[in-house]
Amino acid sequence: MRPLTVTTLGLIAALALTTARADDVDPATHQHAVRLAVGTCGACHGTTGVSGQPKYPRLAGQNANYLAAQLKAFRGQTRGDADAIGYMWGMAAPLDDETIDALAQYYATQRPPAGRMGDAALAARGRTIYEKGVESVGVPACAACHGPDAHGMGDFPRLAGQHAQYVMKQLASFQSNMRNVAVMHGVAQGLKEEQMRAVAAYLEAQP
Amino acid sequence: MIPTRSRRGMAAALSTLFLLALSLAAPPAGAVPSFARQTGMACEACHTVWPELTHFGRVFKANGYILDNLKQVRGVTQQKEEILELASLPPLSIMAQVSLTQLAKPLPDPSGTGDSQNGTVAFPQQLSLFYAGKIAPHVGAFIQLTYGSDSGSIGIDNTDIRFADLKVLPGGHSLIYGLSLNNNPTVQDLWNSTPAFGFPYAASASAPGVPFGTMIDGALGQDVAGLTAYAFWNESLYGEVGVYRTARQGTAGPLDSTQAAVLAGGAPYWRFAYEHNWGRHSIEGGLYGAKFKLLPGAGQPLNGPTDDYQDVALDAQYQYLGDLHLFSVTATRIHEKQTLNATYAAQLAADAGVGNLDNDLTTTRAFATYYYRRKIGGTVGFFTTTGSTDAVSMPNSPDTRGWVAELNYMPWLNTKFSIQYTAYTKYGGLSDNIDGAGRKASDNNTLYLLAWLSY
Repeated sequence: MRPLTVTTLGLIAALALTTARADDVDPATHQHAVRLAVGTCGACHGTTGVSGQPKYPRLAGQNANYLAAQLKAFRGQTRGDADAIGYMWGMAAPLDDETIDALAQYYATQRPPAGRMGDAALAARGRTIYEKGVESVGVPACAACHGPDAHGMGDFPRLAGQHAQYVMKQLASFQSNMRNVAVMHGVAQGLKEEQMRAVAAYLEAQP
Repeated sequence: MIPTRSRRGMAAALSTLFLLALSLAAPPAGAVPSFARQTGMACEACHTVWPELTHFGRVFKANGYILDNLKQVRGVTQQKEEILELASLPPLSIMAQVSLTQLAKPLPDPSGTGDSQNGTVAFPQQLSLFYAGKIAPHVGAFIQLTYGSDSGSIGIDNTDIRFADLKVLPGGHSLIYGLSLNNNPTVQDLWNSTPAFGFPYAASASAPGVPFGTMIDGALGQDVAGLTAYAFWNESLYGEVGVYRTARQGTAGPLDSTQAAVLAGGAPYWRFAYEHNWGRHSIEGGLYGAKFKLLPGAGQPLNGPTDDYQDVALDAQYQYLGDLHLFSVTATRIHEKQTLNATYAAQLAADAGVGNLDNDLTTTRAFATYYYRRKIGGTVGFFTTTGSTDAVSMPNSPDTRGWVAELNYMPWLNTKFSIQYTAYTKYGGLSDNIDGAGRKASDNNTLYLLAWLSY
């Protein structure tokens, strides 16, 4: 496969992600979003977005634009990985744009978790892939879009501190196209499971 | 050797005991796709495999079943006050259970000669209609109406109507608090280690069940109304107190001496639990209990001495929720102290056999459940009841023990096909000759096939 350039990736991603912006929200909507985040979303994602359960992604410190785009994708039933269908399609169905933006702001302003180092050797291999990609199979450097510190850039999500199991599951969903994002399908299809495991271990260890 | 006349008396007493056991055998059921329709989430969000709740399911229940992702019909005043919020679909479900029960040995025929038929088909064993979901903002309900082939009639089944609200505390902690109006102590509980929603989730209505049980262990289900107040802090620390009072079905009341076993005043109920979640694990430990003062009635005015039942119980639950493998353990130990003032006084007055003033019962159950991909799995566990011997009510001691094994196949998340085997090593204090006519405890061993469908 011909390697994807960073520019191409950016263009595809800009099309793939919605262009919504999570702007400032009014106090009443903010209060409503906080109640939702703590009372409903919190059961799985943690009340401040620091999920203790690897099945559910950590949202604290996540890029607000990315979160808003995902909630709209759940609401529009265009994000099709298994847990999105089983959980988030229903969860996001009644949310209006204002509430989505307020939820995105709430999580974006929460303190992200410290990284957790598991297998250091595995994480070290993951770092190489994250920073340099795997040129032989056309996998670009993850850092090109997600940032050198994996804190996300623009519409690209923060990955630092994310549960490794969640990252693994998403990469598998991109590979199979259940989660239909062209740019990530292109990136992930060249990765072997061991390489995905290494990248996920590296990301989970990042603060 | 037991004299013939006495043996007949004992056989009659044990027949009554079997009937009591049968009435205790059919457990409540809970499986309501209306929640899935209302929330838009698959069953797996709230259940490992129904009716066992996940952490999210417990929070959903504590919040009053009100999470609603359907389009709403609304009413608003000129002052922007919301006066109506109705889901566009009513949260209704139906549930059907069809079963076949095969005993190791048929029960004796009541005529005294021969046996009753073995291989009992129940079609349906239960057919239930549920209203399960939101009624209004902060108010939700789980209401079950059931036709049972054992009763041949439609009646109220488990009911839990809730008001709930939430406070966001400093530090991002939550405080869920509310009220539950329900008809079965522990039906409102959040964990599956307590009686109402504990394993076995379904059992034969035609096989002899455990003959003696504590009051809080389902004996008062659908015969009482309870109002309880609860708080759930940070989705971990839970406390609840409340009061139950007899709410008899089939009579408008006021209750009088024609009724039996009526609660005197209000029976206090309490519950405390702590849950901790980490990674894919969840663990809970708790205490619950109640004190029931029962007026015997049945010909006696509803005043005077009462039979008092003080129940104190421990419970624990562990869950592991993997993507492929799910594992859980539930356990409870219920101790009951009985002070039978009314029964004892009546026995003394009748001068026809006197039992104990004080008795005790202890029931212990523990079950382990495994599922692979929520498709195929099963449960194994044991149950014991021990206690004092009472010359009248528990002549050979209440001791009953055995084990249960169940295998389930779920082609879809709302359909379950089960094979369950229940084995007894002791029954009503005896292993052999439990009915005075040579029946062994193991003759009550029960093979139970069940198709359980919910929509």
